[in-house]
Amino acid sequence: MRQESEWEPKLVGFLCKWCSYAGADLAGTSRRKYPANIRIIKVPCSGRVEPLFLLKALRLGFDGVLVSGCHPGECHYQTGNYRARRRIAITKKFLEWVGVEPQRIQASWVSASEGGKFAEVVADVTRGLKGIGPNQLFSQERKEDGAKAKARG
Amino acid sequence: MEQKLKQEAKSLLEQGKVDWIIGFEPGSLKFTTTPLITKDKNDADRLVINPFIVNNLANFLTEVKGRVGIVAKGCDSRSIVSLIQDNKVVRENVVILGVPCPGIIDLGKVERLVGKDRDELDDIIREGDKVIIKVNGEKKEFPATEALFDNCLACEFPTPQEYDILLGEPKPGALNLAQSRGNIEKLEGLTPEQRWDFWKKELSRCIRCYACRNVCPACFCQRCFVEETEPQWALPVPRWQDNLIFQIVRNIHVAGRCTDCGECERVCPVNIPLRSLTREMYDIVDELFHFKAGMDKDALPLMTHYEQEEAEEFFR
Repeated sequence: MRQESEWEPKLVGFLCKWCSYAGADLAGTSRRKYPANIRIIKVPCSGRVEPLFLLKALRLGFDGVLVSGCHPGECHYQTGNYRARRRIAITKKFLEWVGVEPQRIQASWVSASEGGKFAEVVADVTRGLKGIGPNQLFSQERKEDGAKAKARG
Repeated sequence: MEQKLKQEAKSLLEQGKVDWIIGFEPGSLKFTTTPLITKDKNDADRLVINPFIVNNLANFLTEVKGRVGIVAKGCDSRSIVSLIQDNKVVRENVVILGVPCPGIIDLGKVERLVGKDRDELDDIIREGDKVIIKVNGEKKEFPATEALFDNCLACEFPTPQEYDILLGEPKPGALNLAQSRGNIEKLEGLTPEQRWDFWKKELSRCIRCYACRNVCPACFCQRCFVEETEPQWALPVPRWQDNLIFQIVRNIHVAGRCTDCGECERVCPVNIPLRSLTREMYDIVDELFHFKAGMDKDALPLMTHYEQEEAEEFFR
């Protein structure tokens, strides 16, 4: 029988089609190793990412969210990433205020030539998530209630 | 002030400068007011201005057609300006009757102060920084800071930012910022996990009546994300997880429009301290982007413009 393996965080990454997705591609083609914890979703632009996406990911039980786009000034659509920056900034700060651990909402600028940086970012974010443990934000029972729920069956 | 309002409202309607007047009239219960929306110049005599004009009337602006004369306190005027910024309202179609607001009296606080129901009170009078409550022929004096709404205590701009007719003398701002942030500071002392549990507990009371959304002048989406079914962002049932998502995303959506008018918290039937969320968002927007909602009708809305250098600390 298979041994119960060590817990691995699940990370969802929203990568912009023009820079970060190509950056991730480059990381692959140049044989850079990065944690397989990330599930990548291609978006047309980091400006496409709504705060709702992040909330929905956390609600579905993902342990962290990474939003990645072109460096400021290099957006394919000129201003998409500037708008994303404002939105992500208030979302992250506000979620921290409500009580989401800051490690769970991450953002980065990765250009199409930065395969190495992409691998580092994913490794770093995964390390951070391992440090804080599984996402129990939206689960019915958390730690102290866990025992009670088990007793109920 | 009230006399001047009645005259101005009457003459605006008579001269045909506006089609509608939106203001306050006495409510059916003691110490309450209710919104008055009228086309009839004779109704102008029913208009009142007193320390109980609590509603943010900007909410009705998008619902009436034609030119409108509207009574606006400091915070309401900012909501109107915010709507103008978002092209929901045309400036030329609005005549703003500005009321320099000394702060609105919170009847709940008054009841707790004197330990009596509002029906048993004879009178509540605001005098300078005191509130005088008459009960059973007795006069009780309290500092105004104990009887006003929390958001009024932190009011920076009691005088309307944008007006056509100002009905009184301009007033200075901020009575007591610290007191109004009491609950927020208490929460700041907690760990993220404790804060999350706090909101989980508070929002598990939410019955999803959407009063907070419907009363909010900044919440003007034709279709709210909670009612979307494809994809379904949040279930329409009052479960705490979905309640929390609703409130968090609502606050993110109104960032840069919310003027901390406190209406959401006031109308909440289960007394969820929503202002601790809205005020925090208000402060975040101010801290990160030096943006205060509804200050300048020619400014761009917060989320539609950007600076070259800002908020880089959130990105790797």
